[in-house]
Amino acid sequence: MSAAFETRTDAITASTGEARDFFALLKPRVMSLVVVTALTGMMTAPGSVHPVLGFAALLAIAVGAGASGCLNMWYDADIDALMTRTAKRPIPAGRVLPSEALAFGLTLSVGSVLVLGLIANALAAAMLAFTIFFYAVVYSMWLKRWTPQNIVIGGAAGAFPPMIGEAVMTGNFGSHSLVLFAIIFLWTPPHFWALALVKSGDYARAGIPMMPNVAGPAATRRQIVLYSLVMAPVAVLPALMGFGGLIYLVVSVTTGLAMIGLSLRVWRRTEGQPAVKAAYSLFGFSILYLFLLFAVLIVENGFGLMWALPKVLG
Amino acid sequence: MSEQQKPQPAPAPFSPEDMARRRRRSVALALVLGGLVIFFFVVTLVKTGPAVLNRPL
Repeated sequence: MSAAFETRTDAITASTGEARDFFALLKPRVMSLVVVTALTGMMTAPGSVHPVLGFAALLAIAVGAGASGCLNMWYDADIDALMTRTAKRPIPAGRVLPSEALAFGLTLSVGSVLVLGLIANALAAAMLAFTIFFYAVVYSMWLKRWTPQNIVIGGAAGAFPPMIGEAVMTGNFGSHSLVLFAIIFLWTPPHFWALALVKSGDYARAGIPMMPNVAGPAATRRQIVLYSLVMAPVAVLPALMGFGGLIYLVVSVTTGLAMIGLSLRVWRRTEGQPAVKAAYSLFGFSILYLFLLFAVLIVENGFGLMWALPKVLG
Repeated sequence: MSEQQKPQPAPAPFSPEDMARRRRRSVALALVLGGLVIFFFVVTLVKTGPAVLNRPL
């Protein structure tokens, strides 16, 4: 733990954090992505559930995801204090005590898993518990500071929500949520490495072995292109398997090509401001890309807007 | 006097701004708890269905 961080937290004897600081501990932007992906898992699964229970299950999944984000911020407070991107987070900024964040994260973790078990089923609850464990322990405490493959393996934690969504609906997993898992899993490296290329100084200062710091920017750029080339076709699978319609086919193909194009731009532009701009463009678009794919699946499956295509696979 | 018996320095008192922030946090917590009560009530009704009224007199 850094000396600067210890001095700052030692000076605080009681917390003066506001509700919004505790809300920030839940990583609301990540939570919103989890809500969208879990809802997609629910919408594309066979079967139905009472809307109130569906909403309650989604809330429990979102709170569970937030709890894992809170535990991540608790554990990473020392390195967050060293990076410009994260130094203003509630714990390194001294607005919330580490012990408060730990208690908050653990309480929400246990609560969300119990609630999901009561309103849905044991499998969904177990999946949520495993996801929290995977993100807070396997990724945050182990992988993140140990291997440049941290966000590749850790990306599984972000990819589980559609499977939890399907488990809520059916009490089981099927091919639909596995494909959704694969899309998020393959999307994570190009998304994070685009940011890591720009923020490699931050990560070096904090001692986090991100890919650009360990393998170098050139190898990272190559891997970004490779992952994008694999991810884009996988993202078309829902249309070929019959749970994505014509709109999904058009959106997944066009935005997939855009992702490949932006990745190639990151690969080509290696110096100065154009390189930074290319990396930020890919990072920003990748968020829109994932939101779009899953939002279209929700609209097609949930609002009867599915112009079905002939089923090719599955 | 041993190390353990030394009187601890009194913690710095909260400023009015700190107190206002803590008060706002307490109000938010009360609202969340109230929301949870309603949440569990509604979920119980939906899960149990009409059987919630079906009990021996």
